[in-house]
Order: sequence, then C-alpha cells, then structure tokens
Amino acid sequence: MAGSIPILKIGPTLLATIQIDLHDTVVDAFQNDVLLEIEKSGSSGLIIDISALESVDSYVARMLANTAKMAKLMGTETIIVGMQPAVAATLVRMGYFMSGIRTALSLQEGLELQAERRKTLDSE
Amino acid sequence: MELGSQPDYMKILKLDEDEVKRRLAFFELTDEDFRRLTELKSFADRCTQDITEGLYELIMAYPESRAFFPDQATLARVKRLQNAYFLHLFSGTYDLNYVRERLRVGAAHERIGMPPKLYLGAYRRYLALIHERLLDHFKGNDAEASTALATIRKIIFFDMALAFDTYIAAYLETMTRHQAAIRELSTPVIKVYDRVLLLPIVGTVDTQRANQIMETVLVQVVEQQAKVIIIDIAGVPVVDTKVADHILQTTAAVQLLGARTVLTGISASVARTVIQLGVELTRVDTRAKLSEGIEVALSIVGKKIASKKPKKESEDEE
Repeated sequence: MAGSIPILKIGPTLLATIQIDLHDTVVDAFQNDVLLEIEKSGSSGLIIDISALESVDSYVARMLANTAKMAKLMGTETIIVGMQPAVAATLVRMGYFMSGIRTALSLQEGLELQAERRKTLDSE
Repeated sequence: MELGSQPDYMKILKLDEDEVKRRLAFFELTDEDFRRLTELKSFADRCTQDITEGLYELIMAYPESRAFFPDQATLARVKRLQNAYFLHLFSGTYDLNYVRERLRVGAAHERIGMPPKLYLGAYRRYLALIHERLLDHFKGNDAEASTALATIRKIIFFDMALAFDTYIAAYLETMTRHQAAIRELSTPVIKVYDRVLLLPIVGTVDTQRANQIMETVLVQVVEQQAKVIIIDIAGVPVVDTKVADHILQTTAAVQLLGARTVLTGISASVARTVIQLGVELTRVDTRAKLSEGIEVALSIVGKKIASKKPKKESEDEE
C-alpha cells in the first residue's frame, strides 16, 4: 500500500495531494511515508491538499491531525488545505475541531502562508 | 392560455402509463365502460350545449362563483371549453394524453383560485343535468339510463381525482417555494469587501436554522474564497448555551476551511449570560459592535479604514 499517495517536494515544501478514498490502511501508510520523507528531505513545510475528499471520518481526521503534530515535532509546519464545506461541517458536528492545526482555503493560500512564515523565520 | 412555465404535474404526481392503468382500475372503468362512452357520443353531441347552459345557470346564480367570470367574452370562452371538455369524456381513449389534458383543466381552476367547494358543487349540478338528459335519451328504459349514468359517473370521478391531485400538488409547490424563500432570507451572506463576508443573524436560532447557517457560511466561504466572515448576532434575542454552541461549531468549521470568524453584536446582557452560563467563547474573536468587527476583518486581509484628513487617523469610526 505504501506510495499510493504521492508526496512531492517543491523547493522547501512537501506537497501531498490526497485524491483517493482514505481507508485506514492507506492513512497509516501515508503517515509513515510523510514522516520518512520529512526525515530524508528536511523540509520545513508540509501541505496536505484534501480538496478531493468528499468525506472524512473521525479516524482519518485524527490521523491527519496526528501526522501534523508528529511533523511539528520534527520541525515541519503542516497546513491542511482545501477542506470541503461538508467535511468541515461533519467534523465539527462530531465534536472534532482539529484545534492547533493550520488550515488554508486553497493550495495557493497554503503556499503563500508558508512563504510568509519562512520570510519571518529568515528575518529573525 | 398557459401562463409562463407551469410545473409538470404529470411528473410531480408520477403519472405514467402504469399509474393511469391503476387509477382506471380503481374507478372500475372497464373496456365495457369505454365502449359505452363511445356509444354515447351522439347523445353527448346533441345535449352538450344544454348541459353547459344549465351548469352556468348555477354558477352565475351565486356571487362567489359568478366573480370568476367577469365579462361576456370570458363566459363565452369557458362555455366553449366546457363543451369541449364534455365531448372529451366520450372520446373512448383514456391514456396519458387524456390525463394530461385533465391536469391542465385542474391547474387552470387552481390558478384562478377557484375553491374546491365551488368546483365540486358545480360538478354535482353537472351530474344531475346529465342524468336528466339520459332519462330523456333512453325514454322509459330507466335501467339503461342508470347503467349509462354509472359509467359517466366513473369517468367524471376519475377526472375529479386528477383535478384534486393537481390542486394539492399546486399548494404543496407554493409552500415549498415559500419555505425556500424564507430559508434564503434567513441567511443573507453579504460581501463587505474583497474576501470579507458578513452574516447578520436576526431572530431566534433553533437547531435546524443553526445547521442551515453553518452550511451557508461554509459554502459561501469556499465559493468566495473569503478570508474572514463576520457573524453579527445583535439581532438574536436570546443567546443561550445552545446558540453559543452553534456559533462555536460554525467558527470551528470555518477555521477548518482555512478562514477566520469574527463575532460581533455582543451586547452587555449577552456577554453576561454567556459567562454566567459558563460558555467558553474565548477562542472566538469577538467584538461588541459591527463596526469594530469590520475593522478587525479588514485588518486580517491587510486593509485599514483611514480618515480622509491625514492628521486625524485615529478617529475613523462613523
């Protein structure tokens, strides 16, 4: 199952676009792939594009949030982009607010956010 | 005669060939009846004028029903249509086209606002008139006359059922339209500035409305790629735990999309109740007045309201 979600490296950013239905096993493999990729590339930012996902269950949401937290431990900031309205509504109705996770409306916004963050980090 | 686009009642009432067959069967309309109706065609041709005149005698006798036929031209036209309707009863084919024609008649009555009581009352007179003519037609042979009447009664009741279904469908249709209009009016999302939206909530918020508000907000945020949405609750009479909870949920969901919420219109009494109820609203960006909220929202998109006079920059509130 490993490798079913491609993780692309664009400059200092890792980009994972999820376009398949996320079964539990796929998510597990994805988490593993992402962390290994971070270790290998030392990227400072990770963007997970979920705009193609029409539904997200609590397990997948937790796994995504955990992946972000793990990445954070490794010094990589994660932004989840393109969540669909219905997905957001379902998640909060389940009481799952994903607090502490950064989000952006679109991939474009996510990239801008990361660029901004890098600029402030550089200037410090 | 058709006014604009009419709803397709054939579709709404699911009237396909099978349904028409089922209806005909339930009204016990058999091939025997169809044959009898065709045989009565010459009878119908002969007495349709009389019957129509008799019917309109009743209708014109009462102001309530007379009001639907304001002038001679209208009256002449409906009488002509009535004759056509009567003859159609004896056409012998009772298929989808027949049903479609009947629905059109029903819809026309509904459209002009003819109440069902008048419609039914007039039908009663209609049947009585037909009965009289039948007794005349079958001179002395009462048995045959009553068999013929039974058949005609079946097809007329079949027609009435179709007309009533149209009435009901038309009412339901209107109601659905109104409900949709009310729903839409209750969540007007306004674009304040590029990528800044405003949702003023007026009136009580129950769970159903809260869900609908959340849905509209999320869809609009994504559609307009808004960075901020201001939710103004100055018009909500009571903010209790439930309402606060809904607002929190909506805020969280907006956050998941990658946008932010600014909550405004928090009066002193709302602030007091919210804290006394122990509701945690601290995670939400809140302001007392809408104008302050707009400033916050604009600053999020990197804009600022400035006074025109360069020296008085701080007095930019209206």
